[in-house]
Amino acid sequence: MAPEHAASVEVEHLDMEFVARGRRQKVLADIDLQIAPGEFFVIVGPSGCGKTTLLRILQGLARPTAGRALVGGREVLGPGTDRGFVFQNDALYPWRNVTRNVGFGLELQGTDKREAAARAQAMIDLVGLRGFETYYPHELSGGMRQRVNLARALAIEPAILLMDEPFAALDALTRETMQQELLRIAAAAGTTVVFITHQIDEAILLGDRVAVFSPRPGRLKEILPIELKRPREAGVKQSAAFQAYVSRIAHLIGHSA
Amino acid sequence: MIYFAGTVAVKDSIFAGARCYIAARYQGRLLEQDQPVGLMTPPVAAIAPDEESVAPDKARWRSVRRPLTTLIAILVGWELLGRYVLTNHLFFAPLSEVAVAGVELWRSGELQIHIWVSFSELLEGVAAAIVFGIAVGIGIGISQRAREYSEIYITALYATPLVAVTPLLILWLGIGIVSKAAVVFLTAVFPILINTASGVRATDTQLIEVAQSFCATRAQIIAKVMLPAAVPFMLTGIRLGIGRGIVGVVVGELFGARAGLGYLIFTSGQTFDVPALFVGILTLAAMGVGLTFAAQLVERRALRWRRAVDMD
Repeated sequence: MAPEHAASVEVEHLDMEFVARGRRQKVLADIDLQIAPGEFFVIVGPSGCGKTTLLRILQGLARPTAGRALVGGREVLGPGTDRGFVFQNDALYPWRNVTRNVGFGLELQGTDKREAAARAQAMIDLVGLRGFETYYPHELSGGMRQRVNLARALAIEPAILLMDEPFAALDALTRETMQQELLRIAAAAGTTVVFITHQIDEAILLGDRVAVFSPRPGRLKEILPIELKRPREAGVKQSAAFQAYVSRIAHLIGHSA
Repeated sequence: MIYFAGTVAVKDSIFAGARCYIAARYQGRLLEQDQPVGLMTPPVAAIAPDEESVAPDKARWRSVRRPLTTLIAILVGWELLGRYVLTNHLFFAPLSEVAVAGVELWRSGELQIHIWVSFSELLEGVAAAIVFGIAVGIGIGISQRAREYSEIYITALYATPLVAVTPLLILWLGIGIVSKAAVVFLTAVFPILINTASGVRATDTQLIEVAQSFCATRAQIIAKVMLPAAVPFMLTGIRLGIGRGIVGVVVGELFGARAGLGYLIFTSGQTFDVPALFVGILTLAAMGVGLTFAAQLVERRALRWRRAVDMD
């Protein structure tokens, strides 16, 4: 997984409408985005701003009403193995142990068993779960399950990783650890990451750029480049520069709410 | 009173604790012991120990002892009832005489034949019901169209006491094992079929979406997501099916048979051989308990991935 493996993302004039209870509701309005290969791109916004819908469109689980999304220069028409999706609640298969959960995508692709096992093991090592290969999801903590979830998405060696509030259900301490782990893992994997969160400090800590969305319908308000040098430690949150970004984004979100 | 609390909230632990232990993740090693906090608040209330909370060893022994006591009381009561109250041997027999009859039937080899015939009927009928019930259940679970064509009729058949068609099956299939296996099949197939179908339909949609996002084909989603998710439902259906199948065996044999436990009960009743009649009933009860227990063992082994609390 070299950085050249990473793909770009383009979103062009994208609209999305749902029909709920007979009423048309616009959830995304005229979204335009360009994400560079290998970039860690974070979308932050309050609930109802359509950020999860945008991610589902990128994954190919939903089709936009108008406009289009491109990954690696090709229009997204359905799910593809060039994209890995990390779901919000870990959504692991409870009857599969860690190894078999991580190897699920490879199994579907019909990857050679020995190669699949080796790749699954490499991902398990990468996310720090060596020794837990035979554990079932119910035997793992929330943080460990999210590690498995992440390893499962990375095992198919995606060119882009789509993450839908993956740490939202974790407690504060575990979340901080997982943020650090994700920074390390994303750097090692070298893929493009599109990460969704409603937590401002998480967005700034992780992102190369942070896109702020406003709700109902979801609109792109502003994109902020985060010029904090990497590798970023948790301590960076106490710096004045970090706090300046926090208040800037809080201000942007506050105005839209 | 000692309070011992685990928390991930740093502020909570400082606020409430007298001392903090800081533990490492996963293996739970202690990183830092005994950080005195010194904001000790007095305990709010003393908690009375739970009367029923005892050591696990004691609890296990109790779970054996209590049902065993009931069993002994019933057996002794039966013997006394037969000896001193219902002394007319046309209507009742004390337990000791039932035991003697049982040994005699076993010695002559007759009891083994009855057990074998009934067991074969049950096994063949249930096996066919499992194969057919699971296959059709999956079809109905995944196909809206199949469901619309058949669901209401399956529900109707499930509610119909199908042992009523036994005379017809005996006319068609003869007095031997096959007709009774057919009765077992009819009584056992619907709980298996209906449970499998609901299991398939109850699959967590997010688990399906995960497979879709990994580009799974429809066949892969069925085989690798829906089927494993439905396994607990299937096993429940099979357990229910076995229970209903035993009823099917007995009723089938009452209508017409040459051997079997139901046949033993029927002929013993006609000849006022009450001890032999009870031998038939007790053997059936033992068979039912044994098979249910075996089914539970299979469930436990097959569902080790589930939480222990779900199993009990």
